[in-house]
Amino acid sequence: MDLYAFISQIVVGLSRTVILFIVSSGLSLILGVLRIPNVAHGSFYMIGAFAAYSICKFFGGQDVGFWIALFGAPLFVALIGFVAERAIFQFLYQREHLMLLLITCGFSLIFGDLVKLVWGGEYKTVPVPKVFQGYVLLFKHLHLPRYNAFLLVVGPIVAFLLWFFVNKTKIGKISRAAAVDREMVEAVGINVSWVFAITFVVGCFLAGLGGMLVAPTISVSLGMDHTLIMESFLIVIIGGLGNIWGALVGALIFGLAQSLGILIFPKFGIVLPYAAVVLVLIFKPRGLLKSTW
Amino acid sequence: MVAMKGSRRILLAMMVGLAFLPLFAPRFYTYLISLILVYGLLATSLNLALGYGGMFQFHHCVFYGVGAYTTALMITKTKLPAVLAFLAAPVSAALLSLIFGIICVRLSKLYFGMLQISLGSLVWVIVYRWYSFTGGDNGIHGIPIPEILASTKGAYYFTLLITSICMFILYLIVNSPFGRTLQGIRDNPTRSETIGVNVKLHQLVALIIAGFFAGVSGMLFVVVDTAVFPDMLFWTLSLEVLIMCLVGGWFSFLGPMLGSAVILTLRTIVSTYTVYWSLALGIVMSLVILFLPNGILGFIEERWGRAFK
Amino acid sequence: MNRGLVFLMWLGCLFFFFGVSNRGFAKDTIKIGIVDTYTGPPTAFTFDVRDAFDLVVKEVNSKGGVLGKKIEYVTRDDKFKPDVGLAMAKELLLKEKVDILMGTISSASALAISDLAKKERVPFFVTFAKSDKITGEKGHRYVFCMNENTEMAGRAAAHVLAKMPYTKYWIAGDDYEYGHAIAESLWRHLTKLNPKVTKIGETWWKVGEADFTPYITQIMAAKPDFLIVATGGAGMVNFQRAAKATGLAGKIPFYQHTAIEHSVLEAQGLDAPEGVWGTCNYLFYYPDTPENKAFVEQFRKAYNRYPKVGALYGYVTAKFIVEGFKKAGTLDKEKFIDALEGLVIDSPVGKVELRKCDHQLILPMFFGRTKKVEGWNFLIATDIQTIPGKDYIPSCEEVLKLRR
Repeated sequence: MDLYAFISQIVVGLSRTVILFIVSSGLSLILGVLRIPNVAHGSFYMIGAFAAYSICKFFGGQDVGFWIALFGAPLFVALIGFVAERAIFQFLYQREHLMLLLITCGFSLIFGDLVKLVWGGEYKTVPVPKVFQGYVLLFKHLHLPRYNAFLLVVGPIVAFLLWFFVNKTKIGKISRAAAVDREMVEAVGINVSWVFAITFVVGCFLAGLGGMLVAPTISVSLGMDHTLIMESFLIVIIGGLGNIWGALVGALIFGLAQSLGILIFPKFGIVLPYAAVVLVLIFKPRGLLKSTW
Repeated sequence: MVAMKGSRRILLAMMVGLAFLPLFAPRFYTYLISLILVYGLLATSLNLALGYGGMFQFHHCVFYGVGAYTTALMITKTKLPAVLAFLAAPVSAALLSLIFGIICVRLSKLYFGMLQISLGSLVWVIVYRWYSFTGGDNGIHGIPIPEILASTKGAYYFTLLITSICMFILYLIVNSPFGRTLQGIRDNPTRSETIGVNVKLHQLVALIIAGFFAGVSGMLFVVVDTAVFPDMLFWTLSLEVLIMCLVGGWFSFLGPMLGSAVILTLRTIVSTYTVYWSLALGIVMSLVILFLPNGILGFIEERWGRAFK
Repeated sequence: MNRGLVFLMWLGCLFFFFGVSNRGFAKDTIKIGIVDTYTGPPTAFTFDVRDAFDLVVKEVNSKGGVLGKKIEYVTRDDKFKPDVGLAMAKELLLKEKVDILMGTISSASALAISDLAKKERVPFFVTFAKSDKITGEKGHRYVFCMNENTEMAGRAAAHVLAKMPYTKYWIAGDDYEYGHAIAESLWRHLTKLNPKVTKIGETWWKVGEADFTPYITQIMAAKPDFLIVATGGAGMVNFQRAAKATGLAGKIPFYQHTAIEHSVLEAQGLDAPEGVWGTCNYLFYYPDTPENKAFVEQFRKAYNRYPKVGALYGYVTAKFIVEGFKKAGTLDKEKFIDALEGLVIDSPVGKVELRKCDHQLILPMFFGRTKKVEGWNFLIATDIQTIPGKDYIPSCEEVLKLRR
């Protein structure tokens, strides 16, 4: 096997990791701070992709549509998340985890069909802006599609912004405190309800962003929520519940296992990420990094 | 007869009704009720682990699918008599339960569930990709079942017989000392540990029994539908079976069976009019969790008091 | 016993029996049940089947129906899953009591339903599913295939590729039965017709694969002369977009069955890659015959879009059902089947025959390349060659040998 093919496989795997990380960090945030295992997170991801499609279509497929969708789609998803949080989720915080899991499952089924209702069942394509079409040639033999390179740049930026939000901003710190002890934070006079709302909205924004970024590389279609939510949950579990860096580690393991698996075992390659998860959970049942629970 | 408890009377009436159903009802009802019985047994076996055992059994259908495929493969690939194929299903399912159980039982709650899903997905991938052996994404269909069981009526009576026997056995298990210990573990594992109960062993045994009966329902599915598909091992089916337990009531014995009836009937009706079955299912699920957290039977038990098993 | 509870129980029973009862069909009609995938990417192909079918049915019904009876049909969604497809077919047969089954784009579903049709002795018209097992290995009296299958597509493509100068081939595709079947059939015939070709490698990815970049980079590094891409419906558009985005489309010529078909090209608009070789059974702009023009006109007027290959399948299915009953002179299913065998009808692509020995429809195949042409908002096929059905369909002996 070619060394360059191997390297390009890793690089491409990394760009897949970026998407997984962005979405999983949102899930981890909501899980860690709000203690809600939000299965509907996958639906938000899907809505992000479909919103990106609609925005691009509105601009007639011009490149400007892509750039507007880059912020527009996640904002749209964040708005839906906000409405969902105020209307439903904020009443559920004290419920038992299994119930929360199942109820968000129900929501994801509802959202899934609502997407079908609104956008229809067929393929949707989001065009890659001209500046990202084609590929970058590295070291004379390495073909890296420009869009994947873009993703590799976006990933660390998002990670940095997220880290900044969680560790350096006031809201971030409050939400971390509230995750550990809600009553204390309330006793100090802070309106925890709004802090939770903002955290939820940020999580949804991330899901929408992930969906928007992945849209030009695949066919936007129904069912993308199912595949992704399973992967996201597995990533969050092996990374450590509620731990955003855990989400990064988990996404790395999962993403690389996926692309390398394909290369090494063409037939059963898709098994590798699941096998990796099983291995991690056998040796480190509570995840690789510290969970916030 | 008058001295019988109200609930027992209803049950007897239903059994009589079910026994005579194929004689006057159209074929479709017979077929649908066969399916309800199969999924009802599956859901009840799930409930042993979930409702009575308190374990997050998120991927129960792996055992169901493995049981079904065992029967299918044995009938189509070997010349062994069908009876052996039928018996092999629960055995293989129980074996897989044992293996999964040993790996998963060390964890609890969400971790248990996710590990089971990962392991189950591994099995699913193998079944899905091993095209030459399992038929891959096509599944196996047209499985030759012995003549007496092949007709809709024959399959129905066979299913009714086996399901009744299995439900009875499960009922005995749930009400046995083992069953009560299991529920004790569900409610308070640390306390059970302190009074000397081997928690992990009990849970493992419960998982094996649950897997065993899931295998039986897999075998029954082969008899009723003469086909197997890899999606039988996919986590979305496990979710549907879980919803059946939820809707019917997972703290009652017959809840899952009722849930199976409700979900399958609903699915048949809704599919006639619209393609938005997921929407309907999602709404039902959310409403049940919000307003009827103990399911329909749980609600009935609360409201009308009479103990319904 | 509480009365409220008994009432609830009766309600439940009523709900069950009424909900599940037969409804919808008037007496005295010919009932057809269509099971197809109406969710997800395959809908780009399947809506046309249903829509063209509907056109013919409406027309026939307005003229009094067939043998005095109107045609009614219902559709069910199999979500591309064989278990759902089989369950839907069973429901249509046992509950709705349809006379004829039709469908689906999923080969797995089609094979499962074909089995059911054989057991229940109900005619089943396959539309779009391309497994050669349908009329081959698993064929039987009650199943009819209204489209080409993988064996036929492979032969047709090999027919043309054998005359091209390429020798170093790479084969890639969706890792499921369809992908392997097409690739295998194409390669078998290509090597027979042109012994000079060699296969320098193979790549198989999972069905519905979203990200082809790792595979494409691997293929480009190997530098084959020509790439055979065996993708199914879900993968066609994805692969073409990836081919364009990664630059594969310009560097290495490749072939996909149905690459030139309108369903695949329309979805991409002017962004589709040029120079892609493909085969398909129908192009609304070729041949420019009066039959084809009339059909396109009729379809456009009703649905405001150009017909894709699915429309051809839907159209011929409806026509065969109608003509079959007319020729049989009775609604008896066995006589209907006898009448269908060897029946020839007019279609937008000319006269087509439903072969007697294996119930396979013989359609012409078009081979061409994608190109951006002035005046169209999507790419169309150019350099089109027509391969008559008889030239690429396996012989009766070959097919019947497979059935044992």
